[in-house]
Amino acid sequence: MTAANADLSPLIHLVDDDDAVRNSLALLISTIGLRVQTWADPLAFSTQFDRQGIGAVVLDVRMPGIGGLALLAQLVEQGVDHPIVLLTGHGTVDMCRRAFKAGAAEFLEKPVDDELLLETLQAAVRQHVRARQQRQADRDAQQRFAELSPRERQVLALIVQGLSNKDMARVLELSPRTVEVHRANLFAKLQVPSLAHLVRRYASLAEMDAPPAA
Amino acid sequence: MAPWWLAWLVLGAAGCVWLAQQRLQQLHDSFDTDARIAHRVLSQRMVQHEAILATLVLLQPESRATEPAPWSALTRPYPQVREVLRHDHGAPAWPAGWPPGMDAALAQSRASGHAVLAPSNLTGGQLYLVQAATPASFALRLDLRTTALADDWPLSPGSPVHAWLALDGQRYTIQGAAENAARWQWQSAKTLAATSQPLVLHMQQAVRAAMLPWGSMLGWLAGSAALLTALRQLLRQRVARRRAEQLLQLGQVARLNTLGELAAGMAHELNQPLTAVLASSQAAQRLLAEDAPDMPLLRQALAQVVAQARRASDVVTRLRRLVERPDAAMQSSAIDLPQAVIDALHLLEPQLSAHKVHLHPQFAPGLPAARADAVALQQILHNLLTNALQAMDTTPVGERQLWITLTHQGAQLLLTVRDSGPGIAPDMRPRLFTPFATGRDRGLGLGLTLSQSLAEAMGASLQLHDAGPGACFALRLPVHNTR
Repeated sequence: MTAANADLSPLIHLVDDDDAVRNSLALLISTIGLRVQTWADPLAFSTQFDRQGIGAVVLDVRMPGIGGLALLAQLVEQGVDHPIVLLTGHGTVDMCRRAFKAGAAEFLEKPVDDELLLETLQAAVRQHVRARQQRQADRDAQQRFAELSPRERQVLALIVQGLSNKDMARVLELSPRTVEVHRANLFAKLQVPSLAHLVRRYASLAEMDAPPAA
Repeated sequence: MAPWWLAWLVLGAAGCVWLAQQRLQQLHDSFDTDARIAHRVLSQRMVQHEAILATLVLLQPESRATEPAPWSALTRPYPQVREVLRHDHGAPAWPAGWPPGMDAALAQSRASGHAVLAPSNLTGGQLYLVQAATPASFALRLDLRTTALADDWPLSPGSPVHAWLALDGQRYTIQGAAENAARWQWQSAKTLAATSQPLVLHMQQAVRAAMLPWGSMLGWLAGSAALLTALRQLLRQRVARRRAEQLLQLGQVARLNTLGELAAGMAHELNQPLTAVLASSQAAQRLLAEDAPDMPLLRQALAQVVAQARRASDVVTRLRRLVERPDAAMQSSAIDLPQAVIDALHLLEPQLSAHKVHLHPQFAPGLPAARADAVALQQILHNLLTNALQAMDTTPVGERQLWITLTHQGAQLLLTVRDSGPGIAPDMRPRLFTPFATGRDRGLGLGLTLSQSLAEAMGASLQLHDAGPGACFALRLPVHNTR
């Protein structure tokens, strides 16, 4: 039931062994314009679904072969970052607790109301997009950080600590002029417009790096 | 079994020891009292002898061969004084029969000024007492037997006490015989309180098995055995009752468990089609809300709704067939209804008395047997009675009444249970036999439902009876057909 939209639009993976439930839920989800891919076999899903794409996963708890809770744990362990929504016919408090502990994004009871299901899925997709963006930003920052020279990393660590140019010159036994040059290079290489941006985005990377010579 | 025997042994032995101790203590006390009295009586006699001699010495009556003797007035009250002898100073010899030591005793008395006992053979039962004086000394011959066995002697002739007097290694037995074989005995030895006659009064009594209170001891053993048996019976009854009650409750829980599993299975079976129905119909609603509804998709959604509604209906049909399985029928047999009611009441006896409920059983005479399943009937009765009891929780203690009637109506037997509680609230009445409808905070709301389905399964019926005040339930059972 894959809609013919652009491949970049979010895709919901619906995993349920009951044909009727799967088809009607897919129809319902498609009414708000989300693309749906349905899976009757949980094992086929876990080996074949597109892990790079943006979207969310809906798992039925009671399925032959592998239960929704076990599959959830397996996906999380494999580093799947899709938000996973669990669906169950008779949820207990204990099952609910276990689901959230295993990393479920949401836990819904059958029969599920359309508003609740659609809102949950939209929220899940938004969350996934945000998480992917964050990851991309982190990856970019890491790449730029790797291009810094050792001296520039030292200067960055001291900036994060809050030292002035003068103090840095004394600590690094350089002239204030040289420190000023390193500082300008730093801002250029890391592509940050201000000191505040620099500290916010790179403080953790600088601290994870070798401790500054102080 | 063993603990009861042990308890009886301990209890019986303790009681017997106590009884024996009491009896022996009592006997010992009486022995002590007798010894004290005997000592006092004998001491008084001995002092009297001294007084008689002192009087004679003072009066110095002449010795004449006339009868009666001049001192007979003085000695008549004392039958133990057998002979009085006046011994003039310088008289050469004592008459025959008097012991040889009289002269020595006389000299001793003269030296001390007191009466002195002449040495003699004590076993002969005679004492010779002399008081020296001038012009004449006087001597008394005393009979020990008469001295002792006067009116005020404490021991009866048949007494088991052995009493004797001892002086200088000699002894004179007053009564009884020495018993050397006795391993355990009471003893007393006291010197008489008269300086001239320092005899020692010995008394001894053997403690014999025959002295123990065998009758009371046997009585106690029998009594304690009876008491423990009764106690054991009572406890056993209580345990049996509790066990029966638990079994009954267990049966109900088991039924409820089956019911619970059935409900869980049913929930899952129904949830799948319901999920599909809800999702498809809501999808259809959304499609319809669009400006140009996608008709093929809409048709598909509605077809889905119809198919899934049918599927749900099939689940219900299958389930009903499962519940109404004929082989799940109960075992009907001839039941003595009054006895069944009495059994149920017996089980609830503790609660009935704890709630201080006044029972009014009214059983019509000559009732035929009912056709019912014994276990199911017990559960129904137990439920009805328990409900009645709990309904009267808020009723004042004095007004808690329970009416149980049994009557014969054509081919049916009618049992009614009525309480004096507040009755069934009008809004509860229509839902009374519906599952999970309850008037109580802690109630599950399954008791009456279960009772009714049990009743119907065995061809009986359970209804609310309009015979207020209070709630009244009527159970109609078919009469057992003997053919």
